[in-house]
Amino acid sequence: MLWQATLETLTMVSAATIMATLVGLPLGILLATTERGHILEQALINRVLGAVVNIGRSIPFIILMVAIIPFTRKIAGTSIGTTAAIVPLTVAAIPFVARLTEGALKEVDAGVIEAAESMGASPPEIITKVLIPEALPALILAITLTAVNLIGYSAMAGAIGGGGLGDLAIRFGYQRFRGDIMLQTVIILVVLVQGIQMLGDKLAQRLYHRS
Amino acid sequence: MIRLRNVEKVFSGKTTVHALRGVDLEIVSGEIFGIIGQSGAGKSTLIRCINMLEKPDRGEVWVDGVLMNGLSDKDLRAARKGIGMIFQHFNLLSSRTVAENIAFPLELAHVPKQQIQKKVESLADLVGLADKLQAYPGQLSGGQKQRVGIARALATEPQILLCDEATSALDPETTSSVLQLLQQINQELNLTIVLITHEMAVIQEVCDRVAVLEDGLVQEIGAVVDVFTRPQTQATQRMLQGFVTPKMPSQLATAENTLLHLTFADQQVHQPIISQMIRRYGVDANILFGKIDQMKNASFGTLFVELSGPQPQIEEAVDFLRKNQVEVEVLS
Ligand SMILES: Nc1ncnc2c1ncn2[C@@H]1O[C@H](COP(=O)(O)OP(=O)(O)OP(=O)(O)O)[C@@H](O)[C@H]1O
Ligand SMILES: [Mg+2]
Repeated sequence: MLWQATLETLTMVSAATIMATLVGLPLGILLATTERGHILEQALINRVLGAVVNIGRSIPFIILMVAIIPFTRKIAGTSIGTTAAIVPLTVAAIPFVARLTEGALKEVDAGVIEAAESMGASPPEIITKVLIPEALPALILAITLTAVNLIGYSAMAGAIGGGGLGDLAIRFGYQRFRGDIMLQTVIILVVLVQGIQMLGDKLAQRLYHRS
Repeated sequence: MIRLRNVEKVFSGKTTVHALRGVDLEIVSGEIFGIIGQSGAGKSTLIRCINMLEKPDRGEVWVDGVLMNGLSDKDLRAARKGIGMIFQHFNLLSSRTVAENIAFPLELAHVPKQQIQKKVESLADLVGLADKLQAYPGQLSGGQKQRVGIARALATEPQILLCDEATSALDPETTSSVLQLLQQINQELNLTIVLITHEMAVIQEVCDRVAVLEDGLVQEIGAVVDVFTRPQTQATQRMLQGFVTPKMPSQLATAENTLLHLTFADQQVHQPIISQMIRRYGVDANILFGKIDQMKNASFGTLFVELSGPQPQIEEAVDFLRKNQVEVEVLS
């Protein structure tokens, strides 16, 4: 039972992290590069995108989850269960990833971007050969942070039948007064978070070459 | 050849800054051209207008017959591959090794892999970093980083190298070795180098010609020896502040003797003109101050002497100096 729940949590979190990264990363790149003075300066796009991301980030997850049930049903075919929970988790994480990506890319030294421009690099080349490689350690940490946050959110998704460790803790630990199961789920959650964070830190460390 | 015609640049933000107010400039192929000026004079803006990192608001920038500010984005990117640039803070990619940094412009130019490797090795040899190819910039000293910057800038075999305060973050010794490298590539590759700096010594050491920039305008332009030894404008004089031509040491002079300010150009520096004068005309010479400045292609001597003796002999002695192409200024 515990093992099953752990697998469900891992499925939800990894699927949502991957999909949120796939959508959030390009959005973050767009946010960073359309900013004033950057390589794709586009004030209007930047402002609209920024507003959308802010709105997304300001909706509490529990409300978002309920509010997008019709959307979830359309995508996943159902609104309950582990697969269905991936949809709101992904939607909630996209603006988060976008902002973290934007922040990571803005940390890239403007001088380095300028050097690439002076060598005749085009905006796509600057994004793929300068911005992303230079920001890679920060991006890895951003994705790590997203995954860790999603573990927390997934426990909430469990509360409305999403399965996973949160679901288990509520149904057995809380509603049936099984303190032992509650404790075990908490321990597994702690271990998961620690493990993911350690992995992310190590990877980022290895890619970091600045003195 | 680089030619700037009436180039103007205005930065409008909270306050409007007229960074360039109509710059006219011609830089000849193969020369090392210096641009000097105080902080805020517009030096960086000017050099960045050459490769359009800064787009001029008015005027024309011509590089080898191409009007740079008339190019489309695509053509501009192609043109930039023929103009290398190095920076004060090196601007290397921290995620790439030395070899990968040097390879970067070659990747942008879609040069095949094996060719890139060969080129990278020969460039590393040229700048003396053959043993550092696998190091990351974070593991290098400032001088080494700038050498990587130079190798990277030369990778696509440009005709022009722009240097924006390339030695300002380096100590004097490292500065000197980087300047030597620049001189070497200028000669070996017949590369045109445009170099901006606020350090007089840098101009003096490597430049053929210099432009003095102040308030967004070229105040003076000419051969380094001429501009440094006979500054025509107040802007240049202010900037030189006795860098080459010292102030008269007036408190050293005694009223009854004749004080001379002598300027020796290249050949006279190497001749014993003063001792000849003393022997021939029987005057006494008291040397108050003297120095020789070494320029790239010339030596330049300055001497303050006090002559004592009978007036006619002194006058003959002065004539003798003038006949020997020494510039004489009688101060008292
Ligand atoms: N991007 C910019 N936006 C607004 N003002 C600018 C910008 N770049 C330069 N300026 C202004 O233009 C003027 C000239 O700047 P520039 O950087 O060309 O001077 P500089 O001679 O290179 O000075 P320094 O020796 O300090 O590098 C300065 O007053 C500066 O504040
Ligand atoms: Mg500057």
